[in-house]
Amino acid sequence: MIKIDKVQCIVVGAGPAGAACAHVLAKKGIEVVVLERGRKVGEKNVAGFVLFTPVLEYLIPGCREKAPLERNITRFDTIDMDEDYFNVSQRYIYSYRDDPLCFSAFRGKFDPWFAMEAQKAGAELIAGQTVTDLIFDKNRVVGIKTEDEELYADVVVGADGIHSVVAEKTGLKKDPGKMYLIVKEILDLPPDVINQRFRLREGEGCTVEGEFELDVENLVTLYTNKDSVSMALDCVAEDLIDEKAKAHDLLEEVKSHPYLHSLLEGASLREYQAHDETINREPLKPESMYGDGVLLCGEAGKIIDMWGTGVPPSILSGMMAAQTVEMAVQKNDFSKKTLKNYINFLDSTSLWRTMFESGKQEGYNEIIADIMEKSHRRYYDFSRREPYPLWKDIYFQIGKDFTPFFLHWIIAGWLHFSSFCSSLYNKIKKIFKNRYYEWKKDYERKQ
Amino acid sequence: MTDECILTVDEKMATVKIKIDKEAHIIVKKELCRECTKRPCLTICPAENYQWNEKGNELIFNYEGCLECGTCKLICPLDAITWSYPKRGCGVKYRYG
Repeated sequence: MIKIDKVQCIVVGAGPAGAACAHVLAKKGIEVVVLERGRKVGEKNVAGFVLFTPVLEYLIPGCREKAPLERNITRFDTIDMDEDYFNVSQRYIYSYRDDPLCFSAFRGKFDPWFAMEAQKAGAELIAGQTVTDLIFDKNRVVGIKTEDEELYADVVVGADGIHSVVAEKTGLKKDPGKMYLIVKEILDLPPDVINQRFRLREGEGCTVEGEFELDVENLVTLYTNKDSVSMALDCVAEDLIDEKAKAHDLLEEVKSHPYLHSLLEGASLREYQAHDETINREPLKPESMYGDGVLLCGEAGKIIDMWGTGVPPSILSGMMAAQTVEMAVQKNDFSKKTLKNYINFLDSTSLWRTMFESGKQEGYNEIIADIMEKSHRRYYDFSRREPYPLWKDIYFQIGKDFTPFFLHWIIAGWLHFSSFCSSLYNKIKKIFKNRYYEWKKDYERKQ
Repeated sequence: MTDECILTVDEKMATVKIKIDKEAHIIVKKELCRECTKRPCLTICPAENYQWNEKGNELIFNYEGCLECGTCKLICPLDAITWSYPKRGCGVKYRYG
């Protein structure tokens, strides 16, 4: 056990959100300690798991080659069924063949690699210690307690997952809403059998998703890995109780459906897993993501987008939490007043604005789904830090079909020009802001 | 349903690596369970750790086979479950997640 009394920042949880936060903080030279309750990073985590890489690419360029990933997902199959029919539709995206967007992966392999990258950047990791309580000083979080130790910090970042202790002890925990129980299995199949049955090219993979005809509200997902298939069944916990149905028995029922049986016949069970999940269909309440001396990211802050993908938003929120901590360190103020800039940092990314634009659920989802399919990359391109208006995307994908030729060139020209100007303005603003902070630091040092 | 083998929960749990802690991380007030009419824990636990003993009219609970999903705490209607994560790196150790 490394003997440390006080550090600048404690991150609770070494999952994607915590590791991303620690990585960015360490790169910025801020002292950070990550606490993970598992003895090995990733052993407590469960996810589908398909990783959309653009967010990670921003933090670790070349991650598609460096990270331990399974197959390049180029096809997205959707199941639609009723008591009268069963339909599978398949969408193959040509561009993903040479320029992959997403990969299947295992949390037990990805999380340790990602945490190691944070450690290489300079973050300290303490594994096998569970945070049981927080230390307060007049409503401000000043440290954490584990089963064996106490550790103090200027700010605590809670990235400890869906049943977050940090969220609970600070009172930032929200009503979970509809809770889903996921039961999941990793099923072994030889690679050539997977290629043949799922009709895949070498190295490519697919996802199969849809709601099955069961007595409970559910979502079935299958992802092809190199030599196995991950199969998950999400059920609404309340429905399971009302119907007195056991999720693991329903999973067997789903696996024996003729279509899935034809894909999975002869597969042996490698590992069984279970986890809780919430799918966020409500606009997030920003005031419940930060407090005095504390920030929440990832599932601890209920930061999951409306399609249930958790890891890219978690990584994004971890990175923005790190930016907020850096600002707090520069201002030497760790109260809500400075930490509320977390929301501004998140809001400045196109990913966040597209995911959590509030109050426009009906019809909006269809537009977003369409944009997502046509331009996955732009949706996840949050490297543009300036506000990225959604209507620009809508215009280019849909609106331009309805404008006369000459008018389209005027509108498109103006949109590109205004985008360029605002990006230039933000870059100049950033340069001058950094210079101001450096000057202030020098000035204070001389005093 | 086909004639292929349908896996039981015990067969599934045999694939999960668990390091058992000496201390129980979930404590159930079993005296409250007798009054419970719904008993959702018997259905919801993905590892079937909660079972009902008809003869003794009491709940049988084993913390050792816990997958740490956290669902039991949320659905108990009588708040009989004191739930926390296992300590010192004990509990489930997923190899693949």
